[in-house]
Amino acid sequence: MRNISTAKLLIIIFISNIMESILAPYLIGFYINLPLAFLVFSLAIYNSNYNSNPLFAFLSGFYLDLISSSPFGINAGLFTMMSYVVNSYANTFKLFSYIQICVFFSMSSIFYIGFKNLFISLENFSYLVLFFSFIFNTFLFLLIAMIRYYFPSKAIKYD
Amino acid sequence: MSRVKPTSGTKFLYFLCITISGFLVYLDIKHKSFEGIKNYYQSFIISSSYLLKSSTVDPVIFLYRLTKDKSELINENKQLKLEIDKSYISNFIISRDSKFFVDDESIKRFLAINNINEIFQLAKLEYFDTEMYMCCSKHRAFIKTYKTNNNNNYIGKPVLNYMGLIGQIIYSDSVIEVLLLSDTDHVMPVMSGSHFCNAKGSGKPGKIICTYNNKLWQDKISIGQEFFSSGMGGIYPRGILIGKVVNIREVDESFTELDINLISSPIASNYVGVLEGI
Repeated sequence: MRNISTAKLLIIIFISNIMESILAPYLIGFYINLPLAFLVFSLAIYNSNYNSNPLFAFLSGFYLDLISSSPFGINAGLFTMMSYVVNSYANTFKLFSYIQICVFFSMSSIFYIGFKNLFISLENFSYLVLFFSFIFNTFLFLLIAMIRYYFPSKAIKYD
Repeated sequence: MSRVKPTSGTKFLYFLCITISGFLVYLDIKHKSFEGIKNYYQSFIISSSYLLKSSTVDPVIFLYRLTKDKSELINENKQLKLEIDKSYISNFIISRDSKFFVDDESIKRFLAINNINEIFQLAKLEYFDTEMYMCCSKHRAFIKTYKTNNNNNYIGKPVLNYMGLIGQIIYSDSVIEVLLLSDTDHVMPVMSGSHFCNAKGSGKPGKIICTYNNKLWQDKISIGQEFFSSGMGGIYPRGILIGKVVNIREVDESFTELDINLISSPIASNYVGVLEGI
């Protein structure tokens, strides 16, 4: 996902949004929320060699707002914030271990879920969901990060 | 390649984007300002997915259903045919229940005593040599029941179709052999009023011959007179119409021979019933 083109990213966000809506009813039974589209976008800007434009993040979020029927501006704002944080600490991340990065992304996703719940459905806001989602997302990201060690050819291609 | 930190200009742009986002969220939640755009998008997605589905998936599903419906229809047709044949035989028995059984209670008692669920077993004609039937004296039919009897104990049981009795079982294994009424080896006691005689198979299709001592039975027999099963042989139920007299011959001064045309034909239906017992 390094330096992915805008068109590709939008298509991937679209597919992620569909997958998210399919998975959500099953995962919520285990108090887990997995914001796939947000994580895909975060990974894209994290992996990019260049700082992304704030307007790019804003419009990507705006696009997600449109396809996910969220209130307009909520994803746009959160994507912009995420883009700012990632761009600001892009060089600092290089000093972090994989576990720390996984925890950072997991925390970001928890912030995203909590913030979104506060705006869209306050009655669904649950600390239990945030807690379980944090644990689940952290382990999921660790698992994904480990893949490159099990498939070295991919690591060589990207590193 | 290292990434530079956002400059103050970029930071301002970030701030501006976030502020606009907040303003948009406020507008949307408070005033539902973007409902039209969302609805337009949703209707576009629904209509395009509908069009896509109707042009790609639906034709495939239609073709699949077409083939499936056809095979389902064929199977349903076969099943219905089977049920109709079964009902024909049931009707034959029901319309003559007084001949098979005295009343409903005796039917129930008989079924209960013998642990029988149905009074006949539906069977399908497996093999029938029509040439042999038309030319020669050996008239046999080979049938197979739908429900397998553990004992295969069908020997001696009468076989009927929707027209009437056609014969009795003489061999019972995986395939059941039926000795037809017109076979020369078959003998059946028949009666007409107070007149009794033993009808033997003629070896000709649909015909049996009854020879009797005219000194013993002096009643006048006429052409077209109906003959019924007498039940004296212990195989067939009493009082079932077997056939009508078509020819009367004097063999000698003591014996008279009757040609009786059978009312039922074994080739009338592919489905027959094996009567459980009488």
